[in-house]
Amino acid sequence: MQNVLEMKGISIEFPGVKALDNVDFSLRAGEIHSLLGENGAGKSTLIKCLTGVNRKDSGKIFLDGHEINPTDPGNAIDLGISTVFQEVNLCPNLSVAENIFAGRQPMKHGGINWREINSRASELMSRFHLDIDVTRPLSYYSTAIQQMTSIARAVDIQAKILILDEPTSSLDENEVQLLFDVMRDLRSQGMGIIFITHFLDQIYAVSDRMTILRNGHLIGTYNIDELTKFELVTKMVGKDMDVIFNLKRAEVADDSEFMLKAEHIGNASTINDISVSIKKGELLGFAGLLGSGRTETAQMLFGVNRISHGNITLEDHEIILKQPFDAIKFRIAFCPEDRKRDGIIGDLSIRENIMLAVQSREGFMKPMSHQEQVTLANKYIKLLGIATPDCEKKAGELSGGNQQKVILARWMAAEPKVLILDEPTRGIDIGAKAEIQRLMLEMCGSGVSVIFISSELDEIIRCSNRIVIMRDRAKVAEVDGANCTQNDILKIIAEGAA
Amino acid sequence: MRKNLNLSSIMQSKVTWAVIAEMLILLVCFAIRPDFFSISYQPSTGMLYGSLIDIVNRSAEITIISMGMTLVIALGGTDLSVGALVAVAGAIALKFLRWDVLEYTTPGDYSVCPYILVLTVPLIICALMGLFNGFLVAKGGIQPIIATLILMVCGRGVAQILTDGKQFTTGYSPFRVIGQGSFLYLPMPIIITIVVVVAVALFTRKTAFGAFVESVGVNPSASRLSGIKADQVILIVFLLTGLLSGIAGLIYSSRIMSNDSNNAGLNFEMDAILAVVIGGTNMSGGKFSIIGTLVGSLIIRTIVTFVYYFGIVAEATMAFKALIIAVVIVLQSAPVREYFAKRAAKRVKVSGGVQA
Repeated sequence: MQNVLEMKGISIEFPGVKALDNVDFSLRAGEIHSLLGENGAGKSTLIKCLTGVNRKDSGKIFLDGHEINPTDPGNAIDLGISTVFQEVNLCPNLSVAENIFAGRQPMKHGGINWREINSRASELMSRFHLDIDVTRPLSYYSTAIQQMTSIARAVDIQAKILILDEPTSSLDENEVQLLFDVMRDLRSQGMGIIFITHFLDQIYAVSDRMTILRNGHLIGTYNIDELTKFELVTKMVGKDMDVIFNLKRAEVADDSEFMLKAEHIGNASTINDISVSIKKGELLGFAGLLGSGRTETAQMLFGVNRISHGNITLEDHEIILKQPFDAIKFRIAFCPEDRKRDGIIGDLSIRENIMLAVQSREGFMKPMSHQEQVTLANKYIKLLGIATPDCEKKAGELSGGNQQKVILARWMAAEPKVLILDEPTRGIDIGAKAEIQRLMLEMCGSGVSVIFISSELDEIIRCSNRIVIMRDRAKVAEVDGANCTQNDILKIIAEGAA
Repeated sequence: MRKNLNLSSIMQSKVTWAVIAEMLILLVCFAIRPDFFSISYQPSTGMLYGSLIDIVNRSAEITIISMGMTLVIALGGTDLSVGALVAVAGAIALKFLRWDVLEYTTPGDYSVCPYILVLTVPLIICALMGLFNGFLVAKGGIQPIIATLILMVCGRGVAQILTDGKQFTTGYSPFRVIGQGSFLYLPMPIIITIVVVVAVALFTRKTAFGAFVESVGVNPSASRLSGIKADQVILIVFLLTGLLSGIAGLIYSSRIMSNDSNNAGLNFEMDAILAVVIGGTNMSGGKFSIIGTLVGSLIIRTIVTFVYYFGIVAEATMAFKALIIAVVIVLQSAPVREYFAKRAAKRVKVSGGVQA
């Protein structure tokens, strides 16, 4: 097999940071090549250099043996380099077919040939074993199908290289398999595919080779059977995996008092009746499928959704939560699931993002001085290891893992008694994941009660004292975290009873 | 220090470019008429005179309104009703001054109602109208541009009804002071403007209110989940904008000593929005700059003064204003700013990384 793409000695410098330092990368025609590294390792920068978003400072790119210099994303597409991003960047209000052919509609008699657009779109989608109505708006379909639509677009413009940037993070298991089938299909047709993901299993399931980056340096390119998962992680993080995951469950005495108790709470629109309780310094895991009511329960405990019946007591006092502000007053904190939509305030600086919860609890008439804010921000930047030159950097410019740390810092600064974390480790790399888990456990150690919601059972089991299992908007079981396995939980989720 | 000041980041700032644009316009004025900057003292009125004083004086209404508009735009909205509220404030003030007249009579130096009512009632009504806007936006979830369109259209109608469609004139001298009086050698509108700008700057930057406005403007959902009472922030911002429109309305009607329901504050909303945008606040919300808006408002007024001063034909005034604004906006566009920021960064590098 010959190389369809070769990148040689690529260096990119941003003010104050060397994002890529003399990195080589090659992609063969007809292979799936995983690009690996922690957040900030330089994966996205390498991709952005290839797609013309960032200009390289030195190095050369060869496509089919000819040197290319992509100037902007449109130019890269013309050269045959197509990218499918984590967040679908198509027009949700246009039909699937229109999205596939946007900007290059087949014409007939001076007008758009709708019949051809729709029939060709159907044909393309059916190649992915998707029998859908392509005239419906894109927003009608699931994220998976939306992602397939952008892949279909790439396929139809006969891209030589397809870049898939975290395509699986919002897909369920079946959808992931469907995507993999499509990827294998495209591989057999000779397309070169660059695959970026945080899920190690998926790398082993689908790719042929992998290239590992760390801190802007090339660590190496390996065949998939050359490295075990363990060696792979060690190379990515630069540390031993045992060190990373050397976590100890929080210790909670049997007779320690309850911090938060919710008894038969519910409302008409979400969950009808649920009771949960958490002790001081305990870590309570919430397991269950997406939509099983985990997030809704958390939202009730934080006052996002008001409860219509039942009661919530905090340290034996009943509390009434009408809005998030009330919950914050009672020192309950909530890191929402959708970091981008509900968590980070992208255009504000890290400093402002961190001080927000403390400040809103105090009200705007009692402002923290600029110096106090800087001190607070710097304290947490150091404590959580947020990678930034200073606290004035816009939070939106940080990587996913660092954004999550900023939100965590916002709530740690508010000194909560109860901290609710909804999928805090989604879409972040393994090193940051382990750090966040360690932070959760440290907070438990200092007497904070943590509610931890996650779709990844292994991390729930690793950290939780007790695990609440949700299904169909109700609590179906509660198990002891120390004595249960993934299979036990899966069984309960599947069968609906303990 | 707020930020580490280096040349590159200064060149990136829109405020810098607004200041540069203003200086360029003034420089052209100076080149054509060297006496443009001269300021003289007139003992008879106890006031300073000169084109610079005139620019600041005449920009008072727009500057005051655009202080509120800055916050509305930082929230990601716009307030179209400000011009109409200027007319409402004038109508109420004149109604209170001249409650007795049914038809046009020669204005005398008296007021029918107590002067305190003449000043406070228009401001209270305008603040309430602002609150109404805020209520529609915060509680009704209506887009600000639509919500404020209601009062933009019906505000002038209210002003007409209050005054039975008539134009009153007054000669009450305490009222004249607001728009035509002086204090510390400066025209009173300038003094009021300074007070308002300083008050808004202190209110937004010395409390955390400004940060809350920016936060809600960037991401309302995340702000709410961080405990910010977004509704409260929106209500305060619209109320403030209504109040400031009322103040501008009083200045405006004091200048003409009359009410004019049709023309008072006409197109003020557009000038105010323009001032904010030139001042570097993004229409999609987020970071705002009070100083930037102040400069923006001065730019708009400088252009108008320029037109008057150099006898450009009246028909061409609007076109000329548009032309200059187009140039200012281009100067502020991302590519131009980046170009100069890069050059500045390079210069710093060449000179051995010495901070500018």
